[in-house]
Amino acid sequence: MPVQSTDVAILGVDVGGTFTDAVLVEEGRIRTAKVPTARRQEESVLAAARAVAADTVDLERFAHGTTVATNALLERRGARTAYVGNAGFEHLLHLRRQTRAHLYRLCAEHPEPLVPLERCFGVRGRLGPEGELEPLELDSLPDLDGAEAVAVCLLFAFRDPSHERVLAAELRRRHPGVHVVASHELAPEFREYERASTTAADAYLAPVTVGYLRALVAAAAEARLPEPVVMLSSGGVLPAGEAAEHPARLLISGPAGGVVGAGLVARSAGFEHAIAFDMGGTSTDVCLLPDGRAERVSEREVGGLPIRVPSVDVHTVGAGGGSLVRRDAGGALRVGPESAGADPGPACYGRRGGPTVTDANLLLGRLPRELPGGLVLDGEAAAAALAGIDPAAVVEVVNAEMLRALRVVSVERGHDPRDFALVAYGGAGPLHACALAEELGIEAVLVPAAAGVLSALGLAAGDERRDRVVSHVRPLREMRELPSDGEADLRYRGQSFELTVPLGGDLEARFHRAHEERYGYADREREIELVAVRTAEVVRGPAVELPGGEGRRSSGPALVELEGSTLWIPPGWEGVRDGFSWVVTRE
Amino acid sequence: MLGAALRSIAEEMGAVLIRSSFSANIKERRDCSTALFDEHGRMIAQAEHIPVHLGAMPDAVAAVMRLGLEAGQVAILNDPYTGGTHLPDVTLVSRTALGFAVSRAHHADVGGIEPASLPAFSHTLEEEGVILPPQLLTDEVLERFVEATRQPEERRGDLRAQLSAHRLADRRLEALCERRGRDLVAAAMDELYAYSERMVRASIAALPDGRSEAEDVVEAVDGDVPIRCTVEIAGDEIRIDFTGTAPQYDGNLNCPLAVTKSACYFVVRCLTEPDLPASGGAFAPVAVAAPAGCLVNAQAPAAVVAGNTETSSRIVDVVFAAFAQLVPVPAAGQGTMNNLAFGNDRFTYYETIGGGQGACPDAGGPSGVHVAMSNTLATPAEAIELEYPLRVERWELRPGSGGAGKHRGGDGVVRELRVLEDCRLSVLAERRRHAPPGRGGGEGGAPGRTLVNGEEQPPKLTRQLQPGDIVRVETPGGGGHGVEK
Repeated sequence: MPVQSTDVAILGVDVGGTFTDAVLVEEGRIRTAKVPTARRQEESVLAAARAVAADTVDLERFAHGTTVATNALLERRGARTAYVGNAGFEHLLHLRRQTRAHLYRLCAEHPEPLVPLERCFGVRGRLGPEGELEPLELDSLPDLDGAEAVAVCLLFAFRDPSHERVLAAELRRRHPGVHVVASHELAPEFREYERASTTAADAYLAPVTVGYLRALVAAAAEARLPEPVVMLSSGGVLPAGEAAEHPARLLISGPAGGVVGAGLVARSAGFEHAIAFDMGGTSTDVCLLPDGRAERVSEREVGGLPIRVPSVDVHTVGAGGGSLVRRDAGGALRVGPESAGADPGPACYGRRGGPTVTDANLLLGRLPRELPGGLVLDGEAAAAALAGIDPAAVVEVVNAEMLRALRVVSVERGHDPRDFALVAYGGAGPLHACALAEELGIEAVLVPAAAGVLSALGLAAGDERRDRVVSHVRPLREMRELPSDGEADLRYRGQSFELTVPLGGDLEARFHRAHEERYGYADREREIELVAVRTAEVVRGPAVELPGGEGRRSSGPALVELEGSTLWIPPGWEGVRDGFSWVVTRE
Repeated sequence: MLGAALRSIAEEMGAVLIRSSFSANIKERRDCSTALFDEHGRMIAQAEHIPVHLGAMPDAVAAVMRLGLEAGQVAILNDPYTGGTHLPDVTLVSRTALGFAVSRAHHADVGGIEPASLPAFSHTLEEEGVILPPQLLTDEVLERFVEATRQPEERRGDLRAQLSAHRLADRRLEALCERRGRDLVAAAMDELYAYSERMVRASIAALPDGRSEAEDVVEAVDGDVPIRCTVEIAGDEIRIDFTGTAPQYDGNLNCPLAVTKSACYFVVRCLTEPDLPASGGAFAPVAVAAPAGCLVNAQAPAAVVAGNTETSSRIVDVVFAAFAQLVPVPAAGQGTMNNLAFGNDRFTYYETIGGGQGACPDAGGPSGVHVAMSNTLATPAEAIELEYPLRVERWELRPGSGGAGKHRGGDGVVRELRVLEDCRLSVLAERRRHAPPGRGGGEGGAPGRTLVNGEEQPPKLTRQLQPGDIVRVETPGGGGHGVEK
């Protein structure tokens, strides 16, 4: 696909756990920087922007990926939150779906709900599937025990939000300084527990996120930068003020940026279908991009809590370059999920870290002796830590994990990986990509020159996106008018899981076909139920012109040092620097 | 690497089955399991959803192997005395490129004297539904079976979902054998089995040797029925013997030996290698014995429907209690699945309800969860009310029902359902007369209660309901652990 040129500059800043990355694209030139992440994220964002001299150019867009909401959720640093449900259903957040956390560890606990039992309240009044069963009684609403935020989730609000509306208005009237969210405002979708969990997370994160984004907007104005747009889990961006309204939509902001970046790289290199493969220090994210755009899901789990908002369908596994290696009691080699982190880091960093995947790669000659930052890698320390474990076996075991993840997003969803290019990025992605491609029968591996900061680039390029969902749970044939653009969640009447198919044209035929592809059969006699209609208002992001590079060619075995990453080209593979990326194929 | 591939095939089968099925039991509650077996009929990888299927699947494959299945053929069975558990659990076994694929799913109704095929008062297996001995699944067999059930359309849909899981296993295994070579995949299967066995043996060897006994009861309609067991840890092996247990009984609390084994394997998993991926090798070091014709090794044609859910829960309790004298174990959990079934000619609805987990030696017991042999999901109130003539009036924790102790037992829950049309109700529950005991000085949990329109009911019942009637179930709390300071 031809890439349009742009005269104005765009900036992407992605905050990670250890580093904050910035990418500035201007007239086909690219500047990147990495700065340490500070405790106050807005300071590192500004520092990273200054490091690429963003304050000296005319910026069209300043895009931002943030972990503020995610960290507050994982570290339980959100607001003092109350929950209001129907009387008799007060404990919903604690009952979950009644399964235990582990089949055989009987006292293992689920992650603590975001609202403690003593702040879970009930209100009398009830809606059923066909309307009101009992009127709402606002008098039955108790005092909220000093809550800073309130989540409201009433039964059947996905279909009829009238009770929730009245209740939320009353709460806002009674408690003017308190952040109130009702489930239908955020996730008007069927199944009360998942909806309640999403609403509770949104309320819990709101005060922290609003505070952070306000501080960032003010700091940006002071530095004469435009108002930032923020990357959502959906892979689209929204202006900071609007993004702050529902922080549950920001929980995978960073990985979503990477996926958008991978799509950009694949399209500019002329590949239609891609799989994004982001292998970092402690975890790896993979995502399928048929036609260069990420697949989306309507629900995912974050920190053990179901969050029902549109997200790019990133599949995460707990293994990366820093994952620790050990042998278990049965003699099997295990890699991860424990990680050596940035400190002490892998054994070869010379700071008494344990044996890691990075150490195995070093011993196999797949890493340079010295990293760009000047850190000399200590091969003896790596060998001592691995204590006789075959480094090739370590790579094989971690690759098995990666392969499983790649299969989950491709084969298990009915796609043949051979039709896709593998876009490898993150610190460790380009080291492992060719071996994985070999296993999956993938022809081409694509490695962007800026493999270490691809997420920041993706942020800068993201479309502006507002998702909307309307729940129906009614026979499809009863529906008269449906939008022509967007997606429908459909199922055979009687099933519990939906397939999402594009709107427009013969929806019934399309659903039967999708069901046949996914499950091996279609039942053309059976009634189809429309569960939800998903639409999105999309404003295309800026056209990004990726810079070219010197044409280079390298035959395996070879090492290519990239910004923030190393590309390993195994024997039998050949890499060609083509424009912004290396394209590695079998000879 | 191949091990991971085999496990992911089993898991993918499970995902297809859950996502494309029609019974609330399968799609919402995930009352199903899928597995791969090798050429010798040994279980290699299982997608674990609920433990009660653990030990009972190998018998199904053994039964089907006797049929001499050819590649691509599928067999069906549900007979508890030839590889099944209870009749609603319908098992398919297919021949793959290398070994067998198995799926087992709890269908909402398989005929019999009461809707949902969970009668409280059955005396023979026949009364509990259609009995399918192991046989080739032909179109004719399928039609005859679904027509004998109350919702043939739904049954057909569920069987299709099961079949599509098998087709998937078939394709995946063939591709794997093609890519890696059949011998290599067979070797990987051997290693997966051997690896689990090594892990569990090492773990058992680390436990102190010894022998001890325990006894508990199940609550039959006309009195208590004792289960007695002796456990012995010797080197890297465990023996569990049920000599002294009451004879099989003229009701439906009987267990075929396969279910008893599942319960024993569950306890051993908890005590040894809870994180190990499931494979038959894990159970090679465990021997289970029970006199033929006793409650936990019942012989045809004894009725068994409550054995699978209720007696199996008690077997777990009594085996844990016997081990308690040798190694640290948790206090008893709610010890029942609180089976609730509603139905008439138009619909059947079945659910099981969580309660308190017994406290562990080092932690409190979780509240409102399934304990022991089940781990099915609760069906959302919105899903129930959209689909069935039922209304959920209440679903909340039952505070204070967990037993006191240094570590508290988990609390049970309160669940109220109102019926909106005439229908039958069946309840199969336990721990109504006897509280789940505490351990190490901890107090017992509160016993459960079942009420219809406020009137207390016996542990097992079947009765007619009118529109507006309310069924309230208060599930038992878990026992506490240690003395409260």
